[in-house]
Amino acid sequence: MQRRDFIRMGSLAFGGLNLPTLLEGEKQASERSCIVVFQNGGASQLDTFDPKPDAPSDIRGSFGSVPTSIPGIHFSGLLPRTAKSLNRFAVIRSMHSDEAIHERARQYIFSGTKPRNDLLQPSYGAVMSKERGPQNGLPPFVVIPDKDLSADAGFLGPSYDPFVAGDPNTKTFSVKDLTLPSGVTFEEALARKGLLAKLDRGFIEAENSPLLESMDEFYQKAYDLIASPAARKAFDIGSEPDKLRDAYGRTGVGQGCLLARRLIESGVRLATVFHGGYDTHAQHEKLTKPLMTDFDQAFPTLLEDLDQRGMLANTLVIVIGDFGRTPKINFSGGRDHWPRASAVALAGAGVKGGVVVGKTDKQAGEPVDRPVTIEDFAATVYKILGINFDKEYHANGRPVRIVKDGVPVKEVLA
Amino acid sequence: MTQAIRSSKLKATDGQTTMLRLALLTCFLAIAAPIGAAEWSQIRIVPGNIVLPKTGDSQRFLVLAKIADGQEEDVTSQCKFTLSTPGIVAVETETGIVTGEHPGRAEIRVKLASLTSSTQVTVSEGTSEARVRFSPDVISVFTTKGCNSSGCHGSPAGQNGFKLSLFGYDVAADHEMVLRKHNGRRVDLADPEKSLILRKPLFDIPHGGGRLMTKESEEYRTLLQWLKEGAKLESNGPRMTRLEMYPAEQVLTGNGSKMRFVVMGRLSDGTTRDMTHEVRYSSSADRVAVIAPDGVATATGSGLTTVLARGMGSVAASQIGVIQQKADAHFPSLPPNNFIDELVYAKQKKLNVAPTGLSTDSEFIRRVYLDTIGLAPTGEEVRAFMANQRQDKRVLLIDSLLKRPEYASFWTVKFEDWFRNNQLNSQGRSMGKFKEWVSARLAADLPYDQMVRDLITSEGDTFQEPATNFWHPATDFMLKKFDVKKATPTVSRLFLGIRMECAECHNHPLENFTQDDFYGLSAFFARLQVKHGPAEYRRTWYLADEGEVEHPVTKKPVPAKFLGGETPQFAPDEDRRVALANWVTSPKNPYFARATVNRIWHEYFQAGLVEPFDDFRSTNPATNKELLDRLAAFFVDSGFHLQALHRLILNSRTYQLSSRSAGPSANPELERLLFARYEVRKLPAEALLDSISQVTGVAHPFSNYPAGTRAMDLYVPDAPDYFLVAFGFPRRDIICERSRTPTLSQALHMINGDTVRKKVDAPDNALGGWIKDGWSDDRIVSEIYLDSYARPASSSELTSVKEFVESEMAAGRSRRAALGSFLWTVLNSKEFQVNH
Repeated sequence: MQRRDFIRMGSLAFGGLNLPTLLEGEKQASERSCIVVFQNGGASQLDTFDPKPDAPSDIRGSFGSVPTSIPGIHFSGLLPRTAKSLNRFAVIRSMHSDEAIHERARQYIFSGTKPRNDLLQPSYGAVMSKERGPQNGLPPFVVIPDKDLSADAGFLGPSYDPFVAGDPNTKTFSVKDLTLPSGVTFEEALARKGLLAKLDRGFIEAENSPLLESMDEFYQKAYDLIASPAARKAFDIGSEPDKLRDAYGRTGVGQGCLLARRLIESGVRLATVFHGGYDTHAQHEKLTKPLMTDFDQAFPTLLEDLDQRGMLANTLVIVIGDFGRTPKINFSGGRDHWPRASAVALAGAGVKGGVVVGKTDKQAGEPVDRPVTIEDFAATVYKILGINFDKEYHANGRPVRIVKDGVPVKEVLA
Repeated sequence: MTQAIRSSKLKATDGQTTMLRLALLTCFLAIAAPIGAAEWSQIRIVPGNIVLPKTGDSQRFLVLAKIADGQEEDVTSQCKFTLSTPGIVAVETETGIVTGEHPGRAEIRVKLASLTSSTQVTVSEGTSEARVRFSPDVISVFTTKGCNSSGCHGSPAGQNGFKLSLFGYDVAADHEMVLRKHNGRRVDLADPEKSLILRKPLFDIPHGGGRLMTKESEEYRTLLQWLKEGAKLESNGPRMTRLEMYPAEQVLTGNGSKMRFVVMGRLSDGTTRDMTHEVRYSSSADRVAVIAPDGVATATGSGLTTVLARGMGSVAASQIGVIQQKADAHFPSLPPNNFIDELVYAKQKKLNVAPTGLSTDSEFIRRVYLDTIGLAPTGEEVRAFMANQRQDKRVLLIDSLLKRPEYASFWTVKFEDWFRNNQLNSQGRSMGKFKEWVSARLAADLPYDQMVRDLITSEGDTFQEPATNFWHPATDFMLKKFDVKKATPTVSRLFLGIRMECAECHNHPLENFTQDDFYGLSAFFARLQVKHGPAEYRRTWYLADEGEVEHPVTKKPVPAKFLGGETPQFAPDEDRRVALANWVTSPKNPYFARATVNRIWHEYFQAGLVEPFDDFRSTNPATNKELLDRLAAFFVDSGFHLQALHRLILNSRTYQLSSRSAGPSANPELERLLFARYEVRKLPAEALLDSISQVTGVAHPFSNYPAGTRAMDLYVPDAPDYFLVAFGFPRRDIICERSRTPTLSQALHMINGDTVRKKVDAPDNALGGWIKDGWSDDRIVSEIYLDSYARPASSSELTSVKEFVESEMAAGRSRRAALGSFLWTVLNSKEFQVNH
């Protein structure tokens, strides 16, 4: 009986147990969601979307290339499945920047604003949190498996920071601090909650402090989330059919993408899946191959799954990383940091499939056609998500635009 | 119209007699109770020293009378005016305007009841030709119409190709842009009325900024006239040297009440210009007061706001406080503990914000422990303090806390935040040395000026000379090179309280600091360099034989220049940083002591006397200037001893006020800004974790540290504990405050996380010990209350807890589990997680 009370307390806020109805039509841009697949450390443009099969071997590497579903376009030989589904997504081969330090480059690509010494720009997820707010009682911004400090709320403040999901590719997967610790029963937790309310009440009333009210609100939200069947269900990756879980791949990125889909389905605004180890200064090919294999399984499956559920039209999926990697393989068999050219992918939410924007030189070292800045890319993302990126926030007493001087890449927009 | 004093007759007055009468009156007023208008105690005319360029020019002015509580009101229209020399100027007394009638000098004398004041006005022999000048006339039109504001053509990128300097600081560039850029398409000198700069704002042709003027307006006539006269720059024309706004501070009582502001520019040719209608006004908080283009401010709601006036590249500010009624006879009159209280009370009374009562001994002991040593007092310490009957027990407690080693540990963490002792930029190896270096100085209370000189002039190996770690945040990690442009804003913010980041790229829009100032300050570090090796993570900072900082525009080496000061000369091999360090820490430096006391004050009160606490500028006035000045003087006189400053603040009654609001009608924002109550704050991550460990009797296990290490004693960890990160342990890689806001992750972690759970469940924790020793429930509950809250439980709380324990045991749970749940609840309570 008490258990049911506990659950009911939570469900009040979320309006029921069911996931939103599937197969909805295309929504307005302002109702779109986003999944970010982030290649930690920076994947090589040559070994993903911009192979140079005619370049010397110390540039092209040994992976070869494969034709894509679009005639005349080739991807790295590591991405055969991804290549076949190019009709579902667009690629920009001519991204370029000058930030070669991981942390700064990540802050840059996650926000569209060059990092400053005195101000941390909010990432896409934080801006979505602020502009859209929570839905169905779920946190609007979730990161899988863990927090990355470049993808947080920056000057918007920690209330817009992401919710950390944990690693869904573990047998014992449970979201950090979302479930009651083992040994504490629902009845016990309920009793504690009751006593806590009694002890807090007098203090909060007497102090009359906005801070205490805000802390109390977060406690209430936390209790709602703990008791929320919608949240439990959204994070319950075990309820997916084994066949689908296998199709995504029983890997960090595979299960991460699947969890991201479940979360978006349940009302999360933006989910980021971090993947890699791509920072391969030595033994590049040996280290990259398994990562790409996992990615090549997960990414096309995600697009197909979203498409079949009618979610692709309303969900933007982007594949980004810190930066590209040096065209020439170094003496340790590695590729180093290379911001001058990198390749990214975008899918869904009206993005035109089969489009390839821009071109790099013979060694994928510099854009030679249609260079796209990080600002342009961010403007594209926000434009698709229906967020006015010209909007000004206030930080440190000065106006700060969400994205400054970025122009959306029209070629990928429907 | 030619009458010199309109609406009042000329009359000579005898200055000496008036002075005498004034003195007598003051004596009389001091004895007699103030009645009605006779509350005025002093009058003054602003602005002073008006120099009208020529006959026919005018300047607005105000006569201000001091009333009770130190406030002033505009009494211009109620005064009697006389002139020392008739015929030089005419005075419009209703509206407060003085107009030049003949070259010469005159004294305007003003009288209100028996109070008098006077000011000098000069009328120069300027030519009376009515030429329109690009600066200031045309620039002023750009300013008042918002053309050169940051949201429009004044933004660094301009707007649609048309780019103006922000509020007109670069007159020559603006002239070039208007007249010549883009093939001179913006002006048509043959047919001035066809010029784009007229047709756009008229909206004859589409204009993104909309319609800004009509052909009948004065602005239009100014622009047209300037074009007709040849659109000349006249670069030898006067520049603005200073913009002044009057009054500098004003209290408005009641929403809707108004105040007229006067703005005057001082020009490089020694003349003045009435800018009241030629500046762009803004208010930092429209919900407090708004200000119209004619300089009249209107109160809209209780609070404090800064109003700015910008024009001709300069900016001036005034502070407005809005209250709904003045302090009455019931306003509390409290005994001050020291000068802090006297000055805080004065400001509070002015704005009718009553301070709360004194904190209880319980509140005080917990608060002062957490603020000085980052730990809650133990039950035993609380009992001893309560039992102490001495009148000066708070004074003694403060002294004893500042001597404890945890004082140095806890405050070192704050300095590590400020100095950004972090992992990213120094690869986490010599930071421990830096922490020890800071901690040793705080423990011994070495003078802060010496510490800062040691930092600024540090050189050598980062292990052997730990102060050199100060330079790490200014290192370009990838290039492994020192970047002076990163060091400059750090030094300026930390030690001068001045944010220079904007000035790296453009002149500061809110301050009269320029790009030249930024590079002039950078030049002190021009020869500092770092070399890496021989072993990994070893770095050595040294001074190169040569090296200069290049100005980004002129591409020339910039001479080292003190901020807003002189350009020192150096011998070729002299360490320029020594001169900078001496200038920064000089007792005469106007910024250093103020910036430091404000930073420390902010830690105690959660609001600086200047807010944000590291953003000193003329356009960001202190909420209590007198207090800031006195504190700074005190700090200098103490020999820059931080502990003297701590002791002074902690002993003030203001610090010892209750945190409970004076009542539902109180305005929390004003209470915070005027220090009318102690501001409730979250415990810093380290203090919360250390306090949880102390109350439960279970030390937190940190990997690679000996058992029992406190969170505040950790060297910046490579992988900080989840608890610390969730509760706001800062990254320190950018200049940024530690987060002080609550989050969802914090609540979830307190409720379900393993930090609290493991400590509550540990069999040999404090609770386990008490049960083993046979303590009763009551005794255990009382002990937990004292350890956690530094107070005994109230009888209703005892009842609640008792009922809880009984009901848990009735539900089949053990006594240990029930009391454990109670302990869990206390740790999760808001009272435990905050300092109040």
